[in-house]
This record gives sequence, C-alpha cells and structure tokens, in this order.
Amino acid sequence: MNALGAALVALGVLTLIKATPLIFAALGGVLSERSGVVNIGLEGMMIAGAFTAVCVSGATGSPLLGACAGVIAGAALAALLAYVATKLAFDQIVAGTGVNIVALGGAAFGLVLVFGQPGASREVTAFGGPGETGLTVLALVLAAALSFFLNRTPWGLRVRACGENPRAAASAGIDPLRTRFWAVVAGGAIAALGGVYLSLAELDLYSDGMTAGRGYIALAAVIFGRWTPFGATGAALFFGFFSALQYTLQRAGIPSELMQALPYLAALVALAGLAGRVRAPASDGVPYVADSVRRA
Amino acid sequence: MAAFWRLRIVRDLGIALIVVFGVGSIAMLLAHVSPIDGFSALFDGAFGTTSEFAETLVSATALLFPALGIALAFRAGLFNIGAEGQLILGGLAAGIAGVFVPGPPVVSIVVTLLAGALAGGLWGGIAGFLKARFGANEVIATLMLNVVAALFANYVVNGPWHFATATEGETPLLARSAWLPTIVPDTRLTIAFVIALLLALVLRFVFTRTVFGFELRAAGEAPEAARRSGIDLSRMALLALTLSGAIAGIGGATLVTGVLHRFNTGLSPGYGFVAIAVALVGNLEPLWIAVAAFAFGILQNGALSMQAEANVPRDIVNVVEGLVIIALAGRRYVASRRST
Repeated sequence: MNALGAALVALGVLTLIKATPLIFAALGGVLSERSGVVNIGLEGMMIAGAFTAVCVSGATGSPLLGACAGVIAGAALAALLAYVATKLAFDQIVAGTGVNIVALGGAAFGLVLVFGQPGASREVTAFGGPGETGLTVLALVLAAALSFFLNRTPWGLRVRACGENPRAAASAGIDPLRTRFWAVVAGGAIAALGGVYLSLAELDLYSDGMTAGRGYIALAAVIFGRWTPFGATGAALFFGFFSALQYTLQRAGIPSELMQALPYLAALVALAGLAGRVRAPASDGVPYVADSVRRA
Repeated sequence: MAAFWRLRIVRDLGIALIVVFGVGSIAMLLAHVSPIDGFSALFDGAFGTTSEFAETLVSATALLFPALGIALAFRAGLFNIGAEGQLILGGLAAGIAGVFVPGPPVVSIVVTLLAGALAGGLWGGIAGFLKARFGANEVIATLMLNVVAALFANYVVNGPWHFATATEGETPLLARSAWLPTIVPDTRLTIAFVIALLLALVLRFVFTRTVFGFELRAAGEAPEAARRSGIDLSRMALLALTLSGAIAGIGGATLVTGVLHRFNTGLSPGYGFVAIAVALVGNLEPLWIAVAAFAFGILQNGALSMQAEANVPRDIVNVVEGLVIIALAGRRYVASRRST
C-alpha cells in the first residue's frame, strides 16, 4: 500500500514536471489565438527561450537574468510573427512554420558561435530543484491570471473581441492590429518560459531538439482546452501525465518509443474526437485588413 | 521591367535572394568570416567539380519530391506540414522492402518505390482521414504525425525488430538489384533526379489539364463554390493528403535506394521542412518548384563546404530557409476559414 502510494505520488509529481513547459506554451497559445492569431511558432519560441536563457546564464552566472533574457528572446521572435501576421496580413500558419525553422537553425548556429561546439552547450548555472517547483507554481498562477485577464478585465475583452470579430472591435474604437500584435508578443514571452524551464530548471544546458515537439502538443492542448487558460492547463496536465507514464512504465518492458509517442497519439485522438464539437474564436487565423473606407 | 517585377514568381524569387544573401552575409560576419569567402566556399562546394555539382542535384532531388507533395496539398487548400514524417516512413518502408524483396532490378526498384509511396501515402492519409471524417485540423495532425513517425522508425531499427546484420539505427544494406542506377558514373546522382522531374511534369499536367486537378484547385481556391458544384470536399481532403504523402514517401524511398542504400534514422536532415520553402518559392507551380529545388539544393550542398572551408556553421542555411518561408507567407492559401 505504502509502495503503491509512493508510486502514485511520484507519478503525480512527474506529471507536474512534464506538464509545466506544456502549460506555459499552451497559455501563450491561448492568448495569441484568443486575439485571432494562430501561433504555430510556439515550438520556436520555446527554443528561443531555452537557448537564450542558457547563453545569458552561462555568461553572467545568474539563471534569473538568463530566464529574463529567454523571455525577451521569445517575445522578440513572437514580434516577428506578430508583425507579419498583423501588419502584413501574411498567412499565419506558413509564417509560424518558418518561425520554428528559424529558431531551430538559429539555436544550432548560436551554439557554435557562443559555446564553440555543435549539438549541446556546456552546463551552466541553473535553478535546480527549487526553481523547478517555483516555475511549476508560476505556470499555475499564470493560468489563473490569464483567465482573470481574459474574462474580467477590459483589456481581456478587447483581446477576445479581436479574435471573434475584429471589424466590430474596430468600429468600437479598438485597434485590432495593435491588440493582436501585443497578444502574440506576450504569448511568445509566456511560451518562452516553457523553454526556460526545460533548459534551466529541468536541465542545465541547451541541446539541439530539446523541445522535442512540445510546442505542437501545446497547440493541441489549446484546442483540447477549448481556448481557455484553465482548459489548456488541464489538457497540458493530461498530456504531461502520458509523458510521466513513460518513465513509470518503462520497467514493464513496453518499448520506450511507444511511450514517448503516447502524448502525441493522445493529442491526435483528442484532436479528432473534439473537432466539430469545440468552437475556435471566430476570427482565429483570419488576417484582419482594415476597410479602405476607414483608411480614407 | 515593372510588368516583369509584377510577376509573382519573379518577385518571390527576388525576395528569397535578398533574404539568402542579406541574412547569410550577416550570419557570416557574426561568425567572423567575410561574406565573400563564405559565399565563394558555398558556391565552390555546389559547383566546383562534376561530383560536387552532382551532389547539388542529389540535394535538389531530395527536396523536389516532398516539395511537389506539399504543393499538391497546398493547392487543395490543405497545409501538409507532415512531409518530413511521410518521407521518413517512405524511406523506412523502402529500406525494409528492399531487403526482403530481391529480384531483377526493375522489379525491386518498382517494389521499393511503391513501398515508399504506400507508407508515405498511408501517413498522409491518416491526417486526411482525420480531416475528412472528423474535421480535425490537418496542420496539428501532421505536426504530431511527424514526431510519431520518427519515433516509430527509431523503434523499428533499434527495437525488437532490430536487424541482426545491421548496426544500430540502420536497416541492412539493400540488395544491389534495388539500387537506383546512376546517371553520372561515380556519383550518387541517380535516375531519381529524372523521376522527380517527370513527376513535376505530370503534376503540372494534372493541375492544368485534368478534371481532378481542376477540382483540387477549386477545393483550395473556392471551397464553397466547389462544394455547391458537387465536389466532395471531404473526399478531396483525403485524396490530396494521401497523394501528397505518397509523393513525399517516394522521395524518402529514393533517398534509401539511390543515396544511402539503406534506411538509417538520420535519413533526412529536415528535407520535409525545407521543402515547404521550396514549394513556396516555386509559387506552388511544379516546374518553378523544380527550379526552386535546384536553388535550395545549392544552399543545402554548398553549406557543407561553407562549414568545412570557411568555418561558418551550416545551420545558418536553416535560418535563411525559415526566413524565406516567413517572407513568402503573403500569398492567400485558403479561401475560407479552416475547420478545426
């Protein structure tokens, strides 16, 4: 009984550990998509956060400064996506895919420039255990804060208005392009925290491919969570649970690849099962172009 | 001149060139290398000798297959981001089929390529089925399927099915009869290059001259009108994603039968993603895509010697390719809202 209890507690803790980066990324996705911009680039923003955090922590010896730099890097990359998605009205999915490729390549390039070696950085000063707990708590707090922001503040209402009907929002005096821009940038900053967690809390280095598609699972978590902060957090916990199972069941002789694939398979099933039954923000993914009349 | 610039393909090519040389130069300066040295190492590596030029065409071929597949799906209004996974599984299937199905060259070549097409088509078809049956977002589905494909391939070559005669992470060497014949002796340039070009011609014909091609484009450009005129959009999604995956799968198969002569888990350095850039630069038109594949083949292959000769990490090529994708995301790809 005690052994079983201990195993369950361990599984619960591991679920939280595995879910934390997903929660950050999914919250970033929720904010961006509620404003009307699909953010395929979450993965890239996590990479930017993870890599930059390690660089700055390595240079200054302060993981806190590293984390701040990581967040700024994620926001900067998000600003690139936000600019082309709003001002230029480019296709958000294509641009987001490009963002991911830029981040992956940029981090690999940066590894050689900064650390003089490909593949992985050296070990740097990291947060360790307390930081891990702290960031997990921060993720949960952020979920509550974002929920409050979206549902209970005038700014949140504006963000949602731009995601549902930007034209109506514009006629009410809201600038959809600006609102969307800053929602995407803030979303990128939050998603980058997920990367910071991976490189400076769970580990103490950056290695190529360390985000391993978590940004994509986060996209599924956004849908699974019906575009709400708490829903997305719940979905992230669900996917985190499947990641945690991987370590617990490994001893049972189940191939590790199958276990690693579990969260992705779960996300696929969820995607198919929920499609048509959940409603995305009405203008999610649709570039907003102001009427020429209004411009004149 | 102004009319020339207004041609979409000319403008897009111009933007791509500006990104390549602009960002490339900045990155080289960051790596303390003069851009002139860096780019001359790159072009020297891509064109210097017959065998280097052949390698450039090998890279171009590797990109052309998935790019054609991606273009087919995009034309139907579907974002297939899963070419990477489709290509890997196509390669894996060809690697296994090539070991177990020996025979006269023509037979084993056809069998391995078909195996690749089937595996890639199946993988694309899963996303197509989820889209057609449940309305699941194909972007996220194909992104997930990429990860699952890589894990599955790992499992097959390392797990319990591990081949006794092969080293870790690989299938055994293919029988000679399954190797694609080369078209330039002593290089890795095989008839895969010709097959890819033929496929581009066929696709152009399909897009412009067949009813299916017309329906496919209609589904992409005006889905509502297409539906009202009796085109089954669900069936079209399933077909387009399956075909798209099959084409990427054939590409993976030719990498196995023409280049490596075995499957290994490092088969693709992200060809399926770079191919998105290739398809966009080619304006989703098969023949222009062939031209774009050649240009990106120069980058892919030249990057190796740029790294070796000029000490510029070759990953910068990926940054440049990603930026090209962003810079060319301006075209409207889907007429109406996507379903989720």
